[in-house]
Amino acid sequence: MFIEKLKEAVRKILPEVDVVIGYRQGFDPLHATPYFLDKPEQVDQLIWNPLCVQNLCSYIPFLKGKVGVIVKGCDSRAIVQYMQEKLITRENIKVIGVPCLRVISVKKVMAAINQQTVQEVTFEGDNIIVKIPEGPKTIPSADVAPRKCATCQLATPLQYDVLAGEAIQSNKPQDTFEETKEFEKLSLEERRAYWEKEFDRCIRCYACRNACPMCICQDKCIAESRDPHWTSQRANVTEKAMFHMIHGLHLAGRCISCEECERVCPMDIPVAKIKKKISMDLKELFGYEAGMNPDDTPPMYTFKVEEATIEEHEI
Amino acid sequence: MADTGFLPKENLPALLEALSKKFAVFAPVLDGEVVLFKRFAPGATLCLTRPANLPPKGIIFPQSETLFNFNFKKDPEDPKKTSLELKENLDFVPTIIFGSRPCDAQGFRIYDRVYLETDTADPYYKGRREKTTIITLACNAPSPGCFCTSVGRGPAESDGSDLMMTELGKGYFFEPMTEKGKEIFKDSLFEDGSAYKEQAQKAHERVSALVKKPFAILEGTPEKLLSLFENSQFWEGETAKCISCGACTYLCPTCYCFNITDEQVGNSGERIRSWDACMFFHFTLEASSHNPRQNKHQRLKNRVGHKFSYYPKKYQGVIACCGCGRCIRYCPMSVDISEIVAHAQGA
Amino acid sequence: MSSIHNPYLPEIGTVIKIIDETPNIKSFQVVLNNPEKMKNFTFEPGQVGQLSLFGVGESTFVINSPPTRMDYLQFSVMKAGEVTSALHELAEGDQIGVRAPLGNWFPYAQMKGKQILFIGGGIGLAPLRTLILFMLDQRADYGDITIIYGARTPNDLCYKDELKEWEERSDVNMILTVDNEFPGWDKRVGLVPNVLKEVAPSPENTVAITCGPPIMIKFTLQALSELKFKDDQIITTLEKRMKCGIGICGRCNIGTMYVCKDGPVFSLTQLNELPAEL
Ligand code: SF4
Ligand code: SF4
Ligand code: SF4
Ligand code: SF4
Ligand code: FES
Repeated sequence: MFIEKLKEAVRKILPEVDVVIGYRQGFDPLHATPYFLDKPEQVDQLIWNPLCVQNLCSYIPFLKGKVGVIVKGCDSRAIVQYMQEKLITRENIKVIGVPCLRVISVKKVMAAINQQTVQEVTFEGDNIIVKIPEGPKTIPSADVAPRKCATCQLATPLQYDVLAGEAIQSNKPQDTFEETKEFEKLSLEERRAYWEKEFDRCIRCYACRNACPMCICQDKCIAESRDPHWTSQRANVTEKAMFHMIHGLHLAGRCISCEECERVCPMDIPVAKIKKKISMDLKELFGYEAGMNPDDTPPMYTFKVEEATIEEHEI
Repeated sequence: MADTGFLPKENLPALLEALSKKFAVFAPVLDGEVVLFKRFAPGATLCLTRPANLPPKGIIFPQSETLFNFNFKKDPEDPKKTSLELKENLDFVPTIIFGSRPCDAQGFRIYDRVYLETDTADPYYKGRREKTTIITLACNAPSPGCFCTSVGRGPAESDGSDLMMTELGKGYFFEPMTEKGKEIFKDSLFEDGSAYKEQAQKAHERVSALVKKPFAILEGTPEKLLSLFENSQFWEGETAKCISCGACTYLCPTCYCFNITDEQVGNSGERIRSWDACMFFHFTLEASSHNPRQNKHQRLKNRVGHKFSYYPKKYQGVIACCGCGRCIRYCPMSVDISEIVAHAQGA
Repeated sequence: MSSIHNPYLPEIGTVIKIIDETPNIKSFQVVLNNPEKMKNFTFEPGQVGQLSLFGVGESTFVINSPPTRMDYLQFSVMKAGEVTSALHELAEGDQIGVRAPLGNWFPYAQMKGKQILFIGGGIGLAPLRTLILFMLDQRADYGDITIIYGARTPNDLCYKDELKEWEERSDVNMILTVDNEFPGWDKRVGLVPNVLKEVAPSPENTVAITCGPPIMIKFTLQALSELKFKDDQIITTLEKRMKCGIGICGRCNIGTMYVCKDGPVFSLTQLNELPAEL
């Protein structure tokens, strides 16, 4: 059983660190919840399944001491990006990598079962079987996977100190930003209308910001600060859009596409779309993808008089 | 007129349309996968099968509202002299919240003690509250995370509602709880409901039994939480996974904290009141940069403490959590307030 | 039109006088523009007010003039954040918003006939000032009055004219101190809590009222307990970030207590019952 391998890896790491962050069962069978453990007898509480969705790396920059963390492929780009931005001391982090081909979006499952109470969840082959009051419902996992999994190239994490299980290769097509390009074909008015409708629901709870592994200055965020006073506390679409644009731009060349922002939004706003558009531009302009190589420098962290990939305009 | 009523399902839109003529009617509608209270318009698709993601608290306590406008006026005789004009914003319209859940209505009861039952009543809350009639739908199944029966409420709790409705097969059974409720109830669309009373009662009991019970009793919990106040190890452990966002507070029907800020353009501006949350670092940050709740465990401790200890100590034992489960259901990290309370009870 | 009182709506007042107390503290004397309201304005010593600069915001200050002198309301402002910095830019004649009085007050009725010991540091003299002047205006009601007041340097002492007056009075025992030696300073040198220990006032039939920076308070409370003051003989005022000022907005609580409404004045006995979250 894979879970035994994972527990073994955690037991091995535990004496070397102050805390290990993994997953345990949450309040219902559909929810996993982050688990901070520091004692061997806690290891048996650990779980691993496609519902272990949270990017546990997000906690690391705020923790002192030595930290062990369970990391999926997509999450591992956060570790790489932290290294680029010198936000962690790599030696203090013990990365327990887990191979992963796909997680499952709780929101999508909940939509598929009409938001009912879940009594039991099992996994069989490529299906998730969810027991609701009217009986078990079998759903193909691919139908309820988050968008990011469809094109994920990182079946094995980029960074790990121990790998639970065997390294595997991704069998997914490369991300060609199809969805973003399709969206860009809409007229300005259509796009504006789309975002106005989406942002209208935003309650400015900042879950998207705080869940983001790269939003490390959240306690100083301009969304709340009056110094600088760039946003007001009005709850209108303009202010909300302003927050999201700043959030997105502060992640230019830093967003590692884990799409936590979108996963956590209680109002179901597709905020990762904004970041994806910026990531696409960054890739086109600078040939850069965040969180892939620890030796890279994020393009917004440097300045070159002439960018190789940007055509200069004559003035 | 009968004490209770029955409304066949197909007559529901007609009722809402009739009410819309006299009131601003807010009802739960589907927006993508999210259920939100919106101004009812004929043809809107109601979603009455589950509680709204966001409780209707914003209808009485908007996420952001203007307390007053201010205006600096230059004296035409002496432009150096300016006078100042303030204009309060206290006009409220008769409103109906249709299809709230018992926990949503309970939320307003939690507010009432703080906003109304004080010598400095809040005129904005009071104005809207008094003009609002709350029509509540008893739940016919608990949602994931619900635990209302453990905090002294239940899926058919009527306190806080003006008119209760229960879904029974082909229609809804209605029971007015207040004078305001009786007013609505006068509408001729209602049939006599007396034949359904018992059936409704049975439905309430059935659903009540389905709600999960994370803890059996709450006796002694306020004191227990206070005694744990300085046990930072306990709180750090319980809150390690919290990311200190505002989802739990903004979605909570009983969380009532706010911020006041000024905005000005040119010679005029407004003082705004907007939702705020004790989970945010900025909430208690002082100008000196001292922050009494510097760490997230202190902040989540305040949230749990406020609901399960401070508020009940202040208000005759009433728990300021109605068990709606929203903070559990939508927490990005699946922090479970009922689990924290249960752990505290056992600590 | 609203029939009920709107506790969020400030009264408009005029700043009639600004006094530079120290390099970063200014006092503002404010008169409400509506003469009727000014005439009927009442408050108790220790109560606070919210000053509004429209467009910037509000901030809380104690009314440090006494209720026995109602020509104006005085507030002293130390420059720290957005609102206080903007207040420092005001000129005499400028308009300002006032929401007052808010909060509780010093239990002066219970202090009658007792010896009074004031211990203040820096701007912490502001809340004491209202009570000192109030007591001096009704001098016969109280026993000995001792004031121990200190600041970092002589320049940082507030209300310098009054300090001189109080020093000259025979019915006030005024003790001034600064943290370090300073050219031209011939009075005591030393931190307030240490000076308090040197002076060693008797706790017999005495009430100690203290206000100052948190670190001073901490050691002052220790010193008072060494001098055998009991907790219910010690009174202090607390500060928190405030918004509504009426116990609703939720940010100034310590456990069940809202500093804006249940405070700012607390006895040490009351403070000890509160959770430790200062
Ligand atoms: S998580 Fe969603 S609702 Fe909350 S601030 Fe972000 S976009 Fe808005
Ligand atoms: S408990 Fe959950 S919803 Fe609340 S602040 Fe923490 S992470 Fe956010
Ligand atoms: S604390 Fe959570 S469960 Fe309780 S009322 Fe608020 S959102 Fe609902
Ligand atoms: S829990 Fe926090 S945000 Fe909610 S009402 Fe209490 S103090 Fe306010
Ligand atoms: S300042 Fe709002 S509750 Fe105290």
